[in-house]
This record gives sequence, C-alpha cells and structure tokens, in this order.
Amino acid sequence: MDKILRGRPIVPGKASGIALVSMKPLSFLGGIDPKTGVVVERNHDLFGKTIKDSILCFPHGHGSTVGSFVLYSLAKNGLAPKAIVNVLADPVVVVGAVIANIPMIDKIDVSQIKMGDLVEVDCYSGTVRILGR
Amino acid sequence: MKDLYLSREEERIYDGELGWAYEVSMKILVKLGDLYGAKRLIPIESAHISGVSYKTIGDAPIEFLEALLEANGRVRVKTTMNPSGIDCEDPIFKYLPKEITEKQKKIIDIYEGLGVERSLTCTPYYIKAAQSGSHLSWAESSAVIYANSILKAWTNREGGPSALASALIGKTPDYGLHQPENRRISAIIKVEADLLSESDYGLLGIYLGKVLGDKIPLIRGRILGEELFLKQMGAAMATSGMVPMFYFDDSEAMSQRTDEVISVDNRDIRRADEEISSFFEKPDLIFIGCPHCSLEEIKCVSNLLRGKKIRKDIRLWICTSRFIRNKAAEYVRIIESSGGRVISDTCAVVTWLRELGIETLMTNSAKTAYYVPLMSNVKAALSPMKKCIEIALQK
Repeated sequence: MDKILRGRPIVPGKASGIALVSMKPLSFLGGIDPKTGVVVERNHDLFGKTIKDSILCFPHGHGSTVGSFVLYSLAKNGLAPKAIVNVLADPVVVVGAVIANIPMIDKIDVSQIKMGDLVEVDCYSGTVRILGR
Repeated sequence: MKDLYLSREEERIYDGELGWAYEVSMKILVKLGDLYGAKRLIPIESAHISGVSYKTIGDAPIEFLEALLEANGRVRVKTTMNPSGIDCEDPIFKYLPKEITEKQKKIIDIYEGLGVERSLTCTPYYIKAAQSGSHLSWAESSAVIYANSILKAWTNREGGPSALASALIGKTPDYGLHQPENRRISAIIKVEADLLSESDYGLLGIYLGKVLGDKIPLIRGRILGEELFLKQMGAAMATSGMVPMFYFDDSEAMSQRTDEVISVDNRDIRRADEEISSFFEKPDLIFIGCPHCSLEEIKCVSNLLRGKKIRKDIRLWICTSRFIRNKAAEYVRIIESSGGRVISDTCAVVTWLRELGIETLMTNSAKTAYYVPLMSNVKAALSPMKKCIEIALQK
C-alpha cells in the first residue's frame, strides 16, 4: 500500500525520485558544495552524499541567508534536488527553492519517509506519496 | 497557492510581464509573505543589502546576481550595500591574493550595476537616516536593530536575498515588525550592573541576546541613552541573539504590559566578558569601528591621538564609511599622522585578517570580539575606545 502524506505546497511542480532523508537541519552555505552537489558539512548525517536528482527531505534550513544562492547555483550546474520536502519551511530554503525553481512542500513529517524510498511529490495538491523501495 | 493580495500591477510582475528579474523578486516576496501570513505588500522607503564581502559569502551569489543583471534588474528605491572584504583604495589590501580582490570587486560591480549605491557600510543611517515610522527592508542585523529602536523606523531582520528582492520591487510583505502588534515589549530588563563604557553596553547586549532570543525588551535601570552606547548594545544583542529591536525609554512602556522581568548585575556582565575575551600579550591590531564609526567617534579617536605616535608593533584601524571618511578629512589627517589608518568599505569582521598577518585583536566592539574568533580564527579582547588607544600609544 502506498502511503500518502499531506502538506503545504510552497513552490509548484511535480517530481518523483529516491528520497534522501535527514533529521538534521541543513545549511546550504558551507554545507553543500555548489560545484559537486555533495554535502560537505562534517557531523551531518548526509555528509559525503550527493543531493543531485534526489527528493531531499530534512526538517528545515539553518545558517546564512546566502544559502539561498547556493540552491540557485546548484540548479544552474544541474546538481539540484528534484524536490525539497521540509517539516517547516524557513526563509533561506524557501527563497532558494523559488529562485532555483525547485518544487517544494512543507508541513510533512519527514520521519515517515525512509532513506532510499521511491517517492512522488506533488507540489500542486500538496502530497508526498511513498511508493516503497 | 498565494493568499497574499496582489494589485493588478503586482500580479503582472508576478506573471513575468516585466521580465525574469522582477518576476523572481516578486515571487520571493510573495512566498515569504505567504509563509508569515502577510495579506499585502507595502511600499518601502529604502533597502539595505547584506552579502557583499567575498570572505563571508564566497562564490555562491555571483551566478544569481549576474542573472539578475543580465535580465535588466534594477532597484526601485534607495538601496545601500554592506561592507565588502577590502578597502578599494587602501594599499594594504593589495597584499591579498589577486583572485580574491578581483572577485570582491566583481561582486561590488554587479550590485552597483543593479543600482545599489556603493556605500559599503553597515551604518547606512549615517548617510541618510531613515524617517521615523517609515517602512524599510534592511538586512544587516546591527542596522536593523538601530533602525527599529533608535530611528523608530520599521523593518524586519531581512536576509541579503529578501532585501534585494524588496529593493527591485520597492515593496515588502506586510508582516512581523511592520505590524504594530508585533512591536510590543515582551520582556523587561532591569539593569543593576554598572555600565561604564561603550564596551560594557556591548557586553550587556551579548548577555541579553542570549537570554532574549527574538524577544523585544524594554531596558530600564542604570542605562544612559547615548547613541554610541545604544549602538554597541544593539549590535551585540543582534549578534548573540535574534533581537530585532529594543525600547529604552520608560514612557514607551506605559501602554504595554509584560510579566517577564530579567535583572542583570555586574556578574552577568563579567561572565559575558569572560566568554568573548581571550588573553594575549599584545594585540596585532586595535580595531575601532564595528559598527562603522560615526563622525563623532572619529573625532573622539583623533582627539586621543592628536600629536602622538602609536607603537610600531601595533596596527590601529578606524573603520567607517567612505561617506563619513570624506567628511572627516581633518580628523583622518590627525589619526593617520599618528600612525593609525582610517579604513573604509570594509571592517575587521568581514576582511581576511589572518591573510593580513593578524592573529590577535583588541576592540571596543563586543560584536567583533564575539565574531572574529569564529569567522577568522583570531583571538579577541574587549576594551573601551580610550583604553584601546592608550594601549596603542604605550611605550
């Protein structure tokens, strides 16, 4: 059975892909290398993983507001996630998703999503469908 | 998906009729407005952009800013920019690697191309004070708290991207500190400590930022309403916490009530000092000018230095905006003939201290003492301006 989570659409769009899930806030400035898309923040549970083409699920952003621009650069370099799923949207990630045009949704309990799940995100209706592995 | 009301003209911008630069700026404002429950956009008097120093932001914004420029984006209201990583005219910054100074100049040029004034200061209010009651979209936390508390203007704590979007549109979403009900006092601070200098006010700010988070305090008790003291206290409060404004005048509390009362005594101030100050034999640099000096502060420093020479093994930087520097020609001459430097466009917090050979720093700014160990791996000690200058002059 597919599991459906309902949230609040932030940036419109649809995407499906493999979930990359963290329960830790993510700082885009200094946390992710805009030239490779790899998480470089030490002590982060996604350290060393690439966010390219993932459905990136994490609680919320933190750190410098310049982090928004990192999302833009990632998108320009073809390294952006396919969608962003947050527990609670914060201005850094929202602005980043808007300028990079990455579908985004929040008010989702990301602990329901497991690393590696195939998920379908619909940021028109505001749903995340977990299709399993 | 948007709950915020847009006029027909705003709607057209949102739909891209004025091009991508304005479309993306409008979308930023609308999304932020939706996030915080704004019902409309309101016009702003001015914007102030952070995210200028290449040291603090790196390459991240360059691609986006260039795209805005290519799409013919231009600010619609008076917009100033924060300090960069270098003084564009002072020769000492020529010792920095060329790649980084070139990148820095490029960032400044792009902002200037977008119509942002080359102010390169964290104290845009000394160039033109915001009007009391006017709405602003300012980034730079020390300028935000100054504008809200001392100038009585109204601004949220913006980030670089949202302030820039507001500058292009000339508006900001109406939420947070733009609404009177969110500007109410949420804590009363009873100052029982003896605050003897601007540095002590800074320490009070560091302490309060930690206990207040984003609350709005009324500060009463043993405090003086001198501009320099309030500026130092506010900058520190906005550094260790997210405090967006404070009240310091009892008459403002008459109509407002809050139950939370926090007392601050000498021990709290000493503890804040122990937390941010390190010990070392001699500072490589003595730095005055965080936030950037007013004309009055430059005058004070020049009076302390008149006819004297500073030690050869200590550097003295007085940082201010180029605007104020140009007004202070006589004071600048006195300071520079004593061996100090009056530096503009940058400051010790956002430049490359280690690369300039600085490992220890003494300052009268609690904000700087808080930040430089974290941002530049430089040890810091806090002392009032008078003491700092005394040490610079010691034989």
